Amino acid sequence: MNWLIPYLKEHKRLLAAVILLGSLTIFAASALLFSSGYLISKAASRPENLLMIYVPIVLVRTFGIMRSVSSYVERLMSHSLILKIVSRMRVRLYEAIRPQVSRFKTGDALGLFADDIEHLQDVYIKLIFPWLSALCVYALSITALGFFSVSFALVMGLYFFVFTVLVPLASLLVMKAKQMKQKEQRAAQYSRLADTVMGMGDWVFSGREKAFVASYEQAEKEWTRLESSKRSFARGRDLCLQLLAGAAVVTTMIWAGGQSADGQMAPILIAAFTLVLFPITEAFLPLSSAAEEWAGYSQSLGRLQTAEKEKPAAHFIQPVFGDDGLALQFRRVSFSYNESEPVLQHFNFSARAGEKIAVLGPSGAGKSTIMQLAEGLVSPQSGTVLVNGHEPDEYISREIAVLNQQPYLFNTTVMNNIRLGNPRATDEEVIEAAKKVHMHDYIQSLPDGYQTVMQETGSRFSGGERQRIALARILLQQTPIVILDEPTVGLDPITERRLIETVFDVLEGKTILWITHHLAGMEQMDRIVFLDGGQIQMDGTHEELVQQELRYQKLYELDMGIS
Amino acid sequence: MGRDLFRYQGVVPVLAGLTFLTIAQAVLVILQAKWLAAALTRLFNGEAPAAVFSGMLLFFAALAGRYLTGFFKQKAAEHYSEKISAALRHDVLNKLFSLGPRYAQKEGTGRLVTLMIEGTSQFRTYLDLFLPKMINMMVLPAAIWLFVLWTDHTSGIILAVTLPVLLVFMVLLGLAARKKADSQWEGYQRLAGHFTDSLRGLETLTFLGRARSHKKQIEHVSEEYRKSTMNTLKVAFLSSFALDFFAMLSVATVAVFLGLGLVDGKMALLPALTVLILAPEYFLPVRELGTDYHATLNGQEAGRAMQEILEKPDWDLENQFKLQTWSDEATLSLSKVEAASLKKISFSVKGRKKIGIIGTSGAGKSTLIDILGGFLAADSGTISVNGQTVSHLHQADWQNQLTYIPQHPYIFGGTLADNIRFYKPDASNEEVRKAAEKAGLASFEDLLETEIGEGGRRLSGGQMQRIAAARAFLADRPILLLDEPTAHLDIETEAALKESMLPLFDDKLVFLATHRLHWMKEMDWIIVMEHGQIAETGTHTELLLKNGVYASLVQAARGDTHELAHSILKRA
Repeated sequence: MNWLIPYLKEHKRLLAAVILLGSLTIFAASALLFSSGYLISKAASRPENLLMIYVPIVLVRTFGIMRSVSSYVERLMSHSLILKIVSRMRVRLYEAIRPQVSRFKTGDALGLFADDIEHLQDVYIKLIFPWLSALCVYALSITALGFFSVSFALVMGLYFFVFTVLVPLASLLVMKAKQMKQKEQRAAQYSRLADTVMGMGDWVFSGREKAFVASYEQAEKEWTRLESSKRSFARGRDLCLQLLAGAAVVTTMIWAGGQSADGQMAPILIAAFTLVLFPITEAFLPLSSAAEEWAGYSQSLGRLQTAEKEKPAAHFIQPVFGDDGLALQFRRVSFSYNESEPVLQHFNFSARAGEKIAVLGPSGAGKSTIMQLAEGLVSPQSGTVLVNGHEPDEYISREIAVLNQQPYLFNTTVMNNIRLGNPRATDEEVIEAAKKVHMHDYIQSLPDGYQTVMQETGSRFSGGERQRIALARILLQQTPIVILDEPTVGLDPITERRLIETVFDVLEGKTILWITHHLAGMEQMDRIVFLDGGQIQMDGTHEELVQQELRYQKLYELDMGIS
Repeated sequence: MGRDLFRYQGVVPVLAGLTFLTIAQAVLVILQAKWLAAALTRLFNGEAPAAVFSGMLLFFAALAGRYLTGFFKQKAAEHYSEKISAALRHDVLNKLFSLGPRYAQKEGTGRLVTLMIEGTSQFRTYLDLFLPKMINMMVLPAAIWLFVLWTDHTSGIILAVTLPVLLVFMVLLGLAARKKADSQWEGYQRLAGHFTDSLRGLETLTFLGRARSHKKQIEHVSEEYRKSTMNTLKVAFLSSFALDFFAMLSVATVAVFLGLGLVDGKMALLPALTVLILAPEYFLPVRELGTDYHATLNGQEAGRAMQEILEKPDWDLENQFKLQTWSDEATLSLSKVEAASLKKISFSVKGRKKIGIIGTSGAGKSTLIDILGGFLAADSGTISVNGQTVSHLHQADWQNQLTYIPQHPYIFGGTLADNIRFYKPDASNEEVRKAAEKAGLASFEDLLETEIGEGGRRLSGGQMQRIAAARAFLADRPILLLDEPTAHLDIETEAALKESMLPLFDDKLVFLATHRLHWMKEMDWIIVMEHGQIAETGTHTELLLKNGVYASLVQAARGDTHELAHSILKRA
């Protein structure tokens, strides 16, 4: 709930205006029919003078225009309000997620949160605003009726209660279970179908496609059954509501007719009162179908709430000073993501300024964890990590740059993407960086040059080109330390070799930590550390390791395609 | 809007049924108005409510009948749309299998899956919203108008004049809104996607030290987005404003003229009230057409996209060849095959051999595997198997003899044993156990009945490859296709996996596409690809001696000037 209510409080005035206009729209529609009914009844009493019906004539037109105008303004204002709320939600969500970025394995998992916020727009537009307006009209109309007759006001109050509270609530409860179950099934179907489409080759070769289609259809049938039962509930409910609206009309007629017969009310008001019921009930009807979507909204709300809850406590940094001349230092560092599987255990490691070190080891040996620790994305359970003699702080990006497996290219121009490394860089500096990574000519050859916009997640460029753009970005960042976290995975040997050459060429003089599981290029490194089981197993130059370490030698032979 | 509609099977009887029900509904709407007006008139004339009660009941009965008819219309439409969308999904799913993985890859797995799941329900919603609305639009206003005209000419004329004016304004404003939206579409899309983009790239932003300050950017872009959206909405909402405005004004005008007619005594209360009540009903179908506009549009779009898939040219299955089990005498030859990025590919193989396909990324290795797997047809050139010439290998007898191991094997949610049994569902537990053992999954023996895949135990890349290998051991088919099976693994895993996989290659026709050179020594013959062409062929030693593309690949992998490598090479 704390993702819904505070925003309403924050924009009290705009909210009030939206509700007011929403109510005004319903009111104007009712008033149009009331005054039309009155006009006709009055005219039927054949007044002497046309002027007698002049006021209702004017009113009829006024309300007609008022309804459409207020509905237009209400729609605009409610959308403006919702967009304001969305922009606040985005900032809040972003701030909540930012410190815990290392928790999410893929960018896509993060992208899902954006969908949740999109989803919450509907809860305001379709449910909250119309419902508040309806309640407003409810309260006002019943109060107004109270002046004519308290008992009739109570009866109508009961009718309206059913329309605005009882049935929407019942819809919500009835649909909730079904919707949850459907969501579950949907998620299962999604991953099943995605798996199948990706593994299509296997299905075709195994000759079992028909079996899959049959079993998938069976699962779909289950979902469709739920969907049909939902729809048939909605259909039945709407029919009942329509009948109830009819009953309300009849009740009103009986009351108005009775009042008129008793002489307590002018007969010309009978039609007016009766006709008003139509626009009012028409405004109440959609509330029930809007309420049934609540289950979906509450899931999005839940996800946003957990995202915020898991915000880690602020990390207080105590200044610790280490040995001079050490760019990176890990002192007896232990780290684990969960207690059963320690990643690093009493890990000791240091890198002198300007040193080029390769970190090797099988997957899961904790190579990337070293990068996360140096960046301060995660904190060690025990021991100390020092970067240039102090613990990583919020300005760590001035000291360490990272080139990882999948650098993200944002959906903006190439120029802006490179400039992200240093927002104060001039166009010339950006172009200079692009030249260094050998991308300048290619970028120039594109029709829009540096103004070319990345397509979805940078698919315009090949793997090697993407890494080069990211490398240019890092050059502008101008940090003394660069960590390369398997930037060449998935590239063929020639592309890999060329990229690595460029990387070491342009990063000359910096401290480089190159995390990799391939051995191509090891000979260029000052030092190689081999990580396994949370500790350093081998440490030395390439030549030393080739000559002294059997395991390394074997790896090298394997990788070179020699054995 | 509904032009595609008549393509769907069995739509005509449904439309006819709906039309019939809608005509009945029109009659009930008119009766409802008439009987309500009658009851009100009698009350107005001073009759006691009790005396008018039967009249009120008539009104209620008409109202009930009207909505009950609506209920059945909706039910019929929903029933039909459920049936037709399920049939469409079924056809598309089958078609996807027939088009094969290459098409799926090109279109994007995500897009296809969303289309199959979301698209089907959007299409369904479109049909069950749109069918009744369309019929309503065609029947109700006309019927009501005729009745109004018959009751009171002036009102009839007012209504007749307003509707076209209203429609013209609505369409004009709608077009203006679309033009405005289109003109800023690209920028708008970027603003709309900015937040998702920011979240996806959050890690990169963090590394660049921009994560903290990016908050301002998000605020700024959200504000820009709001402004530009509001600008579009101002115009977009005008269209429904025009609808509302003219409809309301028309009802108001009808009321005024009725009033004037009554004052003049030219008209009685009963017909006047009837017309007044019917006037909003006349506009109702048009107004309803506008609601759920987006749902309708999305559904229509989804339906069209699915139709497009169905209309894709299918494989030419006329020319299916017969093939006995692949033997040492069997031959496969490609002659001047061109397809996608491939140019003039010619080679032939005989019997059971291990063939390596090597080259840089983009050289055409995967495309060649697609041809061999029968996922891609040759645009020109011929493929012949045992002398039978065809244009593609989408041949039942060929594909049934194949096992395929891609970079990311297909692992489905189920037990480990079931995953291994994939190609041979009726294999006994003992057979499965043996295959698992051969593939190096011995340590998993106790886990054969564990759930893996989605929701179950998470597998590493190496384990997935081992499952694929176990599958192949169990299937024991004579032809094996591998597409980059180990490039993503670390060297030690790769080496261990290679060891388990090599026995799998024995006595089979193997095609192994990779850029990992170490496999090549195990191959009987190597095809070296470059820029979509075959650069050279031969054995590992032959190719090294040629000092061509292959030799340069080997050199690139080893580092240009490395003596150590040479010394080890000498020793090896």
